[in-house]
Amino acid sequence: MNSLPLFSEIDPDANFAHRHGAWISRGQFHAAVLTLAAALPERARVLNMCHDRYWFAVSLFAAIARGSLTVLPNSAAPEHLAAVAAEQTDLLVLGDQDAPPVAHLPYFRVDTVAAPPAPAGTPIPMIPFDQRVACVYTSGTTGTPTPHYKTFGRLRLAVLAGAERLWHAAGAPCSVVGTSPIRHMYGLEASVLLPLFAGGRLSAQIPFFPLDIAASLAEVPAPRLLAITPFHLRKLLEADIALPPVAAILSATAPLSRELAREAEHRLGCPVIEIYGSTETGQLAMRAPCRDDVWQCLGATTLETHEGETWAHGPAYPTPQMLNDMIALLSPTTFRLLDRKANMVNVAGKRSSLSFLNATLAALPGVEDAVFCVPPGGTDTDVGRLAAFVVAPTLDRKTILTGLRAHLDPVFLPRPIVFVPALPRDGNGKILARTLSALIDQHLGGRKRP
Amino acid sequence: MQIMELHSTAQTTPDLALEKEMAALIVTALNLDIAPEAIVPEEPLYGDKLGIDSIDILEIALVVSKQYGVQMKADSEDNAHIFGSLRALTAYVGERRVK
Repeated sequence: MNSLPLFSEIDPDANFAHRHGAWISRGQFHAAVLTLAAALPERARVLNMCHDRYWFAVSLFAAIARGSLTVLPNSAAPEHLAAVAAEQTDLLVLGDQDAPPVAHLPYFRVDTVAAPPAPAGTPIPMIPFDQRVACVYTSGTTGTPTPHYKTFGRLRLAVLAGAERLWHAAGAPCSVVGTSPIRHMYGLEASVLLPLFAGGRLSAQIPFFPLDIAASLAEVPAPRLLAITPFHLRKLLEADIALPPVAAILSATAPLSRELAREAEHRLGCPVIEIYGSTETGQLAMRAPCRDDVWQCLGATTLETHEGETWAHGPAYPTPQMLNDMIALLSPTTFRLLDRKANMVNVAGKRSSLSFLNATLAALPGVEDAVFCVPPGGTDTDVGRLAAFVVAPTLDRKTILTGLRAHLDPVFLPRPIVFVPALPRDGNGKILARTLSALIDQHLGGRKRP
Repeated sequence: MQIMELHSTAQTTPDLALEKEMAALIVTALNLDIAPEAIVPEEPLYGDKLGIDSIDILEIALVVSKQYGVQMKADSEDNAHIFGSLRALTAYVGERRVK
């Protein structure tokens, strides 16, 4: 099986990471990775909980060098971490914080390693193409965290294919400022691996408020790529603050409306590129939403429709991957997105299924019947909170929310909860779409949405 | 130090009128399913009680910037304190408001 060098061949003196006002060169990054790799205990699996994007990258690559799988939980919720730890046994937690980030698991602090630096001339490790390097989690349509394993060679292929488009749109390799969580596929690919594999510059900051985004952009040299979500992009534009020149905006996790894309292009004077992907597939296709609604597959990925489902094939996937959306294929490498599957909802970039949400709500003690719905007024590009109709004469709103919180990501908590005396179900026990529409009109029709 | 000062300000002279105004602003902006008076000024905004998450925090920051001209920043560790309660947030905004 073929192997690839751990690090891309890039001038070791080139600036790589910007952290707390100082630059870390490629060579210094490589030395930090090899030093940590030598200091890490032998483990099959590590849990990377670093806050800082630079130390996250050092830990990820040190684990790869040691042949350890890096497990990336999709939230820090104790329930999720416990479920992950139960499945991925013998975990060592890597972090850059004083206090151990996960109770009951051994902790190794990565940013204060007291070890001799790796000697100059230490050979660059060769990594098998098929080495599993990362495990990312989806909440899954059943609500049970589902692991997805990523191999070194395939991750690298997908990121380099994306970089070709992005650097072309921006004019050159960029300093990347990203607002998304680094343990999610989008944040991992766009803000960590893209600068790392493809000759960009990494920012250690994960900015949140609009002013933070402006400050993080200002710290790094042009050209700059801003990797953001539609929701965050909208809030950034609404804040109406001065931003340094940006060479390209990258958006993913939820559909970006053409109106928002155009406003962003107009206000920031740069192209907007959108990614189509998922935790399962990683980044799969891109488009420039201001110009074209057609998606173009990345690299050598091709699509094929089989019995009503669309499957992605190519060197970036060990086996064909089924897509979660309804797609109109124009050619094996171009497509239009028709709709997400009827049962699927996306809130703030997180995906779940209505059937799972309904079952979870209905299973709470004291809930006699319940149904989630998508309230009117929201477009599918804004954060549309879900609402729920609940039959639960003995419960109040707070009890229901507390009950749900133990099972659901908080973005899916219903807002509002409408208590009703009964839910009209037909002879098959189903709530008809028109019945639900009538309930929505009656109870939620005049409601302003955030 | 700044955090200590914030807390002492919040504890001695809460601006009840501004606090009430901000409670109403938050409930409207987030479409919260509660009355503004139901927000207990000393209790955490973020987390279980009100069900406010990080998406809401960004929304609140935007409303606060529009209404009072105060831009939030996360570069210090103050955010946990600022969003620690309605009272702390009111004190923060009250000290910095330009409109």
